[in-house]
Amino acid sequence: MNSETLNTLDSYSKNKYKYGFVTKIDEEKPKKGLNEDIIKFISLKKNEPEWMLEWRLKAFSKWKKMKEPKWANLNFPKIDYQDIYYYSAPKGFDKKPKDLSEVDPKLIDTYNKLGIPLEEQKVLAGVAVDVVFDSVSVATTYKGELEKLGIIFCSIGEAIQTHPDLIKKYLGSVIPAGDHSFSALNSAVFTDGSFVYIPEGVKCPMELSTYFRINAENTGQFERTLIIADKGSYVSYLEGCTAPKRDDNQLHAANVELIALEDAEIKYSTVQNWYPGDEEGKGGIYNFVTKRGLCAGKNSKISWTQVETGSAITWKYPSCILKGDNSIGEFYSVAITNNFQQADTGTKMTHIGKNTKSKIISKGISLGKSQNTYRGEVSFLRKADKARNYTQCDSLLVGNQCGAHTVPYIDSKNNTAVIEHEASTSKINEDQLYYCRQRGLSHEEAVSLIVNGFCKQVLQELPMEFAVEAQKLVSISLEGSVG
Amino acid sequence: MNIQDNYQKNRKNIFFSENKDIATHREKLINIFENDRFDKKNNESLKNINLKNFIDFKYKYLIPEETSVINNNHENSYSIVSVNGQCSTFKDDKIEITKIIDEDYNDFSKNNTIEKNDHFVNLNSLFLNSGFKIVIKRNYNIKIKISNIVTDDDLTIFQKNNIICQEGSSLSLIEEYENKNNSTSNILNVIKLEKNSQLNHFLIQDNSSNHNLIITSHSSCKKDSTYTQKVYNFSEGYVRNFHYSELIETNSEADLQGIFFLKDNNTSNNKTFVKHLAEDCKSNQVYKGILNDRAKATYFSNTHVDQVAQKTEGYQLSKGILLSDNASYFSKPELKIYADDVKCSHGSTIGPIDENAIFYLRSRGMSKIAATKILISSFINEELSSIDNEQMSEIIQKKLVRYLSKVK
Repeated sequence: MNSETLNTLDSYSKNKYKYGFVTKIDEEKPKKGLNEDIIKFISLKKNEPEWMLEWRLKAFSKWKKMKEPKWANLNFPKIDYQDIYYYSAPKGFDKKPKDLSEVDPKLIDTYNKLGIPLEEQKVLAGVAVDVVFDSVSVATTYKGELEKLGIIFCSIGEAIQTHPDLIKKYLGSVIPAGDHSFSALNSAVFTDGSFVYIPEGVKCPMELSTYFRINAENTGQFERTLIIADKGSYVSYLEGCTAPKRDDNQLHAANVELIALEDAEIKYSTVQNWYPGDEEGKGGIYNFVTKRGLCAGKNSKISWTQVETGSAITWKYPSCILKGDNSIGEFYSVAITNNFQQADTGTKMTHIGKNTKSKIISKGISLGKSQNTYRGEVSFLRKADKARNYTQCDSLLVGNQCGAHTVPYIDSKNNTAVIEHEASTSKINEDQLYYCRQRGLSHEEAVSLIVNGFCKQVLQELPMEFAVEAQKLVSISLEGSVG
Repeated sequence: MNIQDNYQKNRKNIFFSENKDIATHREKLINIFENDRFDKKNNESLKNINLKNFIDFKYKYLIPEETSVINNNHENSYSIVSVNGQCSTFKDDKIEITKIIDEDYNDFSKNNTIEKNDHFVNLNSLFLNSGFKIVIKRNYNIKIKISNIVTDDDLTIFQKNNIICQEGSSLSLIEEYENKNNSTSNILNVIKLEKNSQLNHFLIQDNSSNHNLIITSHSSCKKDSTYTQKVYNFSEGYVRNFHYSELIETNSEADLQGIFFLKDNNTSNNKTFVKHLAEDCKSNQVYKGILNDRAKATYFSNTHVDQVAQKTEGYQLSKGILLSDNASYFSKPELKIYADDVKCSHGSTIGPIDENAIFYLRSRGMSKIAATKILISSFINEELSSIDNEQMSEIIQKKLVRYLSKVK
């Protein structure tokens, strides 16, 4: 490796996390630790009905008996669940502000810094945003417009109050509380998140979006998102995340459930940029996320797109259960790890119905001393006649101290189903670099161009609003080398 | 009967039970059995297995009356008959065959490429009752054929073989497993290739439905050596093929290939694992399977590239054809890469026979069955035509025809 490449690598690792600021705002937190009292406290704070509390306590009792899943290729110290705040809210949020003018200006400022100008978005047509600050949903823009179409887009806390029938029917129907220990934990202590319901035949005219931010120290964020697309409807949903720089590790264990009924389509895009820790591997978010979609009806479609650049640890497998005949599941992922980051991410496609199709494109890029693992399962059950899967996972290694791993599980129980899987691992092609340099690009620009080209297949799946941000993010992740 | 009692009761018949070091090692293994919860989900060695049959077994071993014969047919060509895993000693200037000794056991127990929770390997170490050691002397080019025979019903054979190819030697080894009795063979081959040596290893497995065969091999390759392994599994009984290879010095090569033909209720578990520990090494793992009726198969492949192993080339390919509604195939092609200047890839496909190809053949006047048979043969043709040993290729063709005759 030449010295220039080494310099480039150096500058990668020195790159600063620009969302690492802390907003000084009065916070309301109960004591640390996890027990029934804290769950009752959360439930009380959220003014929840009795059945919700019972649901939480049931999940908690399951969690107590469970151990963390161990399959992932990750190394981290044991999580002390008693050393975490399970609830944190900016003061004065007992009642949700009716209007942006009631929100603390400091908060608005924070979001402006992060590039989500709430005020502006009120005016500009486009994205409707729900913002979750620590544990509390701060504001949902564009609610009125959406209501006209019958679309429900609000925080999950609000939905529990206003649409208990939908919550009772669907919450936990895709990810049961007892699925594994992180889903049980989330079910017990989830504080907020988004709820979306698209009524029959409605195509949601704008991208719905949620922005998550962990601000307080030693808090865990446990959000819960539930999206239901009724017959023939369509929705595209975006999610973004950031957190301040802290020396301690913070826990983030979210659950996201998607349900697509007959002919419905859900597109879910994530740009995850939690604080990844510093160059020594100190601090950073532990991101243990369960995302699962159910294609319940015929001809339904769920598509996951993710760009994972942050978090000290990423443990995330957005999955699709293809139950309806002719349903389609898609998964597009770019995961970039740097310094001491560890990512173990991938997907799970379970084909149950006839003629179901799935497609997996995964691109992993490892730099510094990071470890990047793709772990995916594709299974065809007995009745999945004529099911089809195509999987492609490519890894790119930059530097000789990182690792790239691929662990696919392929299981076929049907003799008309066809599965194809291919994977490759390589470093940045010297010939390509040489070619770019020859055309007058600097080394940094050349690396950027090649990496962007490597991810293009995935990035082009993102909605416009996000594609720009994601490309920027890829650039930032490689900053120093990339213009 | 639990493992502990079973072991204590049969201690007398088990190799090296007088050796203290080995006894303590075995105590540890017993502990593993007693504390393990046999987690089928995460332990690859347990998938698709009826544990009770294998863990809760009746130990029985007979020392063969007639010791096996070694024929020196032609020059450099030997044929060995191993009876109940034992083989008489033999020595000339080219090869040397002896019983295994304590040191061979200790040598292997220190190796950590094979997982500690592979219960079949642990069982083998615990109940070891047979095995031999073959040394190929420097610079000789040798052919050996080993027929593995089990004499009686209900035998449990736990066999450990050592094969050592000294510097510059070349060995073509054909092993046959064709047993019709109701017994279980658990065999562990430890293979060492010294500098610039070569081993072509063929395993033909064709047991009847009540014979269980569990084969594990561990090969380590030094500088410029090449290990090629080809497994042909036509067995009607349970077969487990787990093969590990370590490339410990530069420019060595490992090529692990296998084809399995399954039908009825048969199960086969397969695994290949290549560990690249030095620069400039190559590896190839190719397994193909044809599954009919209610057959089940698993295939785990794994390429591990160490940080120092730059310029590695590692390829994996797994292909499965399901001929029936009730057959199932599980594959897990894994890559673990810690070096950056590598070329590694894997491909995996599972599916039925291509309908378009069938249509083409039928439009040329062929019956559906004939078309299916032709397409199955062509699926594995590449592997079969690459066999450079005529005798071998004939044997395999015959077995293939037998398998195809049952395809409907």
